[in-house]
Amino acid sequence: MRNKYIENFENSQIEKKNIPDFRAGDTVRLAVTIKEGSKSRVQNYEGVCIARRGQGTGETIMVRKIGANGVGIERVFPIYSDSINEIKVLRRGRVRRAKLFYLRDRAGKSARIKELRK
Amino acid sequence: MEFIVEKIGMSRTITVPSSPVTLLKVVEAKVCEVENGRAVVAYSNGKKLNKAIEGQQKKYSLSSEFNRFVTMNVTNSEAGDLDRAPLGSAKVIKSSFTTKGRGFSGVIKRWNFSGGPGSHGSRFHRTGGSIGNCEWPGRVMKGRKMPGQYGNVQKSVKNQVISYDEQNSILVVAGSIAGPNGALGRIKVVK
Repeated sequence: MRNKYIENFENSQIEKKNIPDFRAGDTVRLAVTIKEGSKSRVQNYEGVCIARRGQGTGETIMVRKIGANGVGIERVFPIYSDSINEIKVLRRGRVRRAKLFYLRDRAGKSARIKELRK
Repeated sequence: MEFIVEKIGMSRTITVPSSPVTLLKVVEAKVCEVENGRAVVAYSNGKKLNKAIEGQQKKYSLSSEFNRFVTMNVTNSEAGDLDRAPLGSAKVIKSSFTTKGRGFSGVIKRWNFSGGPGSHGSRFHRTGGSIGNCEWPGRVMKGRKMPGQYGNVQKSVKNQVISYDEQNSILVVAGSIAGPNGALGRIKVVK
């Protein structure tokens, strides 16, 4: 259990944030604010969430996608950061573990994740 | 203005860029007597009690948990609860805490020496090596970095105040502060 004062301080920052419920295996789209000099714009990043780490304001997710030339890209985002405008869950995946690092060794058909059906 | 605080622990903000913060809880303290802004302040720490403390408690009619006494600057003009109003408008504080004691430490831990290779017949591992020249100057230069007691000294840092929660008396400051969580220390409102 965390210290209640630390939890209070973190909850006061987190409660305004509207983060959907998702876990590893889900496909997510993040709207990330990018600052270039004085200009700032929003860039979307879409991929499979392969890990969720940490707690409170320090919680991060690792999102993997396959970029140009089949190169795997993994980015880590602090989900409660002010630079994340929106997190959208596009697809729920049926997976059996919390960390999907095995996807790094897979390519093509075997790297697919089945959609979760209820 | 000074206050006795307890270090609660560390967290971070969600702003861009995110900054590490330390949470401090202002310890309940009673002002016993004031003279020109300097006051005798009583607070509670542990269970230590002896006749000298009991005598002071009787003199200032304090309850038995207030067993520690310090002299510090306050805004109070008369005895009673310590006035916490200056914390609401504080921008910068100076915190003085005792660092974690590491005992008698070697030069690698204490002074960040790099040490030697572990194997390949190297006979130089974690020792400090040479400490000076030869017949001239025939002595070790002052300030030579050597093994010795590391930590358990008072360290003061200036920190920016992020927020102050009056209800729980929690002060949030940017950056880190010396000492373990749960340690008591003093803060001084600088600005």
